Amino acid sequence: MNTFFLEIITPEKSFYRGEVESVNIPSLGGACTIMAGHQPMVFATEPGTISITEGGVTREAFMSEGFIEVRPDETIAFAQAVEWPEDINARRAAEAKERAEEQLRRNRSAAEFKLNRAALARAFARLQVKNRSGRR
Amino acid sequence: MADITEIRHRIKSIRDTRQITKAMELISVSKMRKSMTKQAFSSVYFDSVRYTVKDILRHSTDIANRYTERRPHGRAAYVVIAGDKGLAGAFNDNVLNLAWRHMQGHPVHYVVTVGQMARAFFEGRQQPVDLEFTHAVANPTLHDARGIMRDLLDLYDRNLMDEIYIVFTRMHSTAEQEPKIVKLLPIEEQDIDADVQATYTGDICYDPSPEEVLGVLVPQYLVGMIYSALIHSSASEHAARMLAMSNANRNADKMLESLGLEYNRLRQGAITSELLDLTSGKFFSENSLHQKADRHG
Repeated sequence: MNTFFLEIITPEKSFYRGEVESVNIPSLGGACTIMAGHQPMVFATEPGTISITEGGVTREAFMSEGFIEVRPDETIAFAQAVEWPEDINARRAAEAKERAEEQLRRNRSAAEFKLNRAALARAFARLQVKNRSGRR
Repeated sequence: MADITEIRHRIKSIRDTRQITKAMELISVSKMRKSMTKQAFSSVYFDSVRYTVKDILRHSTDIANRYTERRPHGRAAYVVIAGDKGLAGAFNDNVLNLAWRHMQGHPVHYVVTVGQMARAFFEGRQQPVDLEFTHAVANPTLHDARGIMRDLLDLYDRNLMDEIYIVFTRMHSTAEQEPKIVKLLPIEEQDIDADVQATYTGDICYDPSPEEVLGVLVPQYLVGMIYSALIHSSASEHAARMLAMSNANRNADKMLESLGLEYNRLRQGAITSELLDLTSGKFFSENSLHQKADRHG
């Protein structure tokens, strides 16, 4: 299988670098998979699961809002936060989810609503990544 | 000629001050290094964000995004970033005066300050400060930048202002810092300086659409701009303080040297005159003894 170079960058660190076979991303228009030889493109992503297939092994990670640039020579993903399941604190994420839900119930302004919804989406995506890795 | 105890007192106080300035210099060096490494980590990320925003704006001119559209009035908001403390040479003055001069060209303006010195400056000039952030200067974090971005966007969305400028000190090297004004909003292509050289220059598609990608990127772009301004400002402050303190150290050394010379001269003089007193006293008493002996003899 053809491979391509993938790099995942957050403002704090370089999260991942390596030759991969495919990567599945939570794009705004729905999940989609990028393989080698993809057309040059920029995807915007929402908080969700990114799965990286390297050497036949697929790993999942949480990825918050960001964007992914596909170039002929390499693919770079930029996100505010990316975390492996083992780095996610399940209790913290669950608490954040409850907090966001509570805040959503009594949001005061449109801006606040948007913020809370984004926070809820992040917490939800974190929990999903964590739980799925626990079952395996 | 000064009193010898007075000089001793001055030498001691200068030496104490020198100890403080020396410590401040060392602290500034390490703090400056720290913020510069932080800058290096985040700049890869935010440079790419900037570049992508610029690319979208260049290729898709018909995008409707409320953050890229010009607004008709000239109401400006200024985010002025200075330090929390003085004793950093002309660092605070330079950036604050630049902001002040620019404001005179905009009759209606809002002032958002970051750092104690900025607030004190505008209060001293009867310029009301509309919003202030005090914690973001000493050790800027992404969290601080996000908070500032959120508050600014909130004000901008309520249509209180038409332009937002950010005034900060850009660090070129440890010896060279330059106060700068950068327009934050509305985002226009020519204002974005993207230093990244893209490896691919062909047309790029945007999914789902350039508009939506831009919608995701704009907040990140703003966070990146604010964060790098905060970091540059803090690195510049420490560099300026380092320079000011090393000058202070040099001056203290010079003063100590000349004072030491004078002190030694005075002490020598005192010893000489004491010796003279002793010898002449002895000479006199011996002489009078001889005279007495002669008279009785």
